[in-house]
Amino acid sequence: MLALFMVTLTWVACKKDYPVDEDGLLITTRTDCFVSNIELLGTDFVTVRTVAPVIDTTAQTIAVTVQFGTDLKNIYPQFTLATDAKLDPKVTGRVDFSDLANPKVYTVVSGNRKVRKAYKIFITVQPR
Amino acid sequence: MKRKSIYFNYIFSLVVVLLFAVGCTKNKEYAIPTPKDVLQNNVIKRTLGPNIVGQKIEFAYAMAILPEKGKLVSAEVEASISGATGTFLENKSYYTDGGGVDVGIQVGSASVTTATKTKVTFTKDTSAATLRYYYVIPEEARGKTVSFTFSAKSSDGESVSYNVGPYTIAKMDMTRNITVSDGNLAYLSIADMAAYNATTAASSPDKIDLVYLYRNLTTSAFNHALVSPAADVAYLPGITLPTGVNRSTKIIKVFNLQDFNLAQLQYGIYIDDLDFLQIDFSTAPNYAINLKLDAGAWVETADGKYRAYIYMNAVNNTTKSATISMKRYTLK
Repeated sequence: MLALFMVTLTWVACKKDYPVDEDGLLITTRTDCFVSNIELLGTDFVTVRTVAPVIDTTAQTIAVTVQFGTDLKNIYPQFTLATDAKLDPKVTGRVDFSDLANPKVYTVVSGNRKVRKAYKIFITVQPR
Repeated sequence: MKRKSIYFNYIFSLVVVLLFAVGCTKNKEYAIPTPKDVLQNNVIKRTLGPNIVGQKIEFAYAMAILPEKGKLVSAEVEASISGATGTFLENKSYYTDGGGVDVGIQVGSASVTTATKTKVTFTKDTSAATLRYYYVIPEEARGKTVSFTFSAKSSDGESVSYNVGPYTIAKMDMTRNITVSDGNLAYLSIADMAAYNATTAASSPDKIDLVYLYRNLTTSAFNHALVSPAADVAYLPGITLPTGVNRSTKIIKVFNLQDFNLAQLQYGIYIDDLDFLQIDFSTAPNYAINLKLDAGAWVETADGKYRAYIYMNAVNNTTKSATISMKRYTLK
């Protein structure tokens, strides 16, 4: 009787009701796929933006103006995404944004992991 | 099946009995400890953080003997490396009053330092005292370790001692409150840990690593800045560099890294030797603008000889000046 109970308990605990992706994140039914905000921090963890970013979810572009003198080789980007969405590539630390002619591209992946939208980040440095 | 049920009952009963046994254990009644009837001593180190040459390490040395057995005669500290000028053992014993203020009562003659030993001879009849010891770290201890032996003697002929350490003495240097000003003391030398004017900078241009300037621009936040002489001219507006001043120093801007020694504030943050070795300057720029109060910068000189952390203690937009403090580590 006890053995049967234990087996049932184990089976219930291990049952995969909730699918997860390769990162261990929950795959949901959501199809929303957009960037709602972006923050760029300098090496001092203080924002380098001068104004709010301009995010075009149709054209999938983000335009950010940064302060004069920003060290573009060492920026910590922070993205705010749609619920359950994730970013590809992942942000793991400082990112080099200094090649202004070739904007960085980050792809947003929806909660159901079926919709992918690539956002280009255009950076403009404020004049002195 | 019946046998199994008996077995479970047995286990259950055992658990209950054990539970009662643990629950009913009588704690021993507290008794006031009987003091040892010998001369005793103890030491605590009062200073925290890295031990920097020229700074003090403070200890509190407590010693006591039962009054009916005798009184304290002398207290002595022996350091493994002689302390620099200013090393002394307090001849006052302190207590903290109701307002939290330490009040000192003189119990002995002023300490006498002979080579590595510092001694206080008690002049008051006292059977318990806590004396503070201030060890000024000498240059010769840089990068080495220092140990201390505290000892006390009582009138009944007893003596005790207490060893502390070894404590590692940091390799770094520190200079606090350097005044820099736009257009005057604007040329900063990491090698000398000092700021110079243009004339002095021109006489030894190979020592100038950074230029301090302040610009109040309407189009961008420039404000207080530390810029390499070799940086893009856009970061040196209106600056004519003295002849030969052309070094490119790498700078990483930081904020709120309020090192306890440099900021002289309440924050328990300490930059130690190891921190200088772990900074990655490979992609660092050679300028840092818009530096505010409490901001700082990690710096590496062009020849790779020094790494430093510069902290902004105070900034003044009206006089276009700043007070900075610096910790510097010699790499080679």
